[in-house]
Amino acid sequence: MTESQRVFPYLAYADAPAAIDWLRRVFGFEPLDVQTIPDGRVVHAALALEGAQVMLASLFDGGGYCSPQTLEAVPSHVLIHVENVDAHFRQAESAGASIRYGPVDQPWGARLYEATDLEGHRWAFMQPQGSASNSNEHTE
Amino acid sequence: MAETADLGHQRIVPALTYADAPAAIEWLCRVFGFEEVRRMEVGDGRIGNAALRLLGEEIMLASPFEEAGTLSPRDLAALHQQITVYVDDVDAHYLRARDEGARVLAEPADRFWGGRTYWVEDLEGHRWTFQQQLRSVSDEESAAEMLKIASNED
Repeated sequence: MTESQRVFPYLAYADAPAAIDWLRRVFGFEPLDVQTIPDGRVVHAALALEGAQVMLASLFDGGGYCSPQTLEAVPSHVLIHVENVDAHFRQAESAGASIRYGPVDQPWGARLYEATDLEGHRWAFMQPQGSASNSNEHTE
Repeated sequence: MAETADLGHQRIVPALTYADAPAAIEWLCRVFGFEEVRRMEVGDGRIGNAALRLLGEEIMLASPFEEAGTLSPRDLAALHQQITVYVDDVDAHYLRARDEGARVLAEPADRFWGGRTYWVEDLEGHRWTFQQQLRSVSDEESAAEMLKIASNED
């Protein structure tokens, strides 16, 4: 299914090379395809985490996009399913992610935490409860 | 990766905020062809969470919540994210969206990265790219095109 992913969040960053490094180091994304122009800006990049892909690019003038660091609130975020949300949380927190809340068990059957990245994009990492790698019992 | 199949959709899901979430659900289904999977209402007309499906994958949406720091793009100066969707027939998708009144930002055209793509804004200003992959493009070809873009910008 992941080979034929059809829906992609596409994120804008003021400093896309720094974002790619941060997303790799803190959230564990693997850069798959990073296309840069000579001034260092990224015109397109795809990154994958456990087979799920996100796309990003640098800001370009006139596009109507901004980095979330300049917004008073966010109009969207990214939700991503991981194999082990507690392990992912520990890695992200120790690598310096800003944690908004969690991990917490949600009444609708998932355990999740939410973090902001270096520029303020919001990411919710979640694991459906009852899945094989569930490790909820010893936390909270 | 058995869990991936258990989800029934892709593992990474864009989640969008709409000032009038019920209207957004109606619009996204009518104009872009999504189907409603679920909606959780919070009792005052707002939607805490809804899921819509297109071609086997999902997006999520919700009403704005002040305590969560979320707002519709209609109340913000710019966007920090767009949604890219690969469809099987981008021209058919474009015609439907246009005929239903969507604000098209760029009409379908063959792009240098091998996709045929159009850009469109939804009822509250979230931006979407719908794309059909026509061919694969080599890194060299792609790099040459990007250099042209970079030099045109100056």
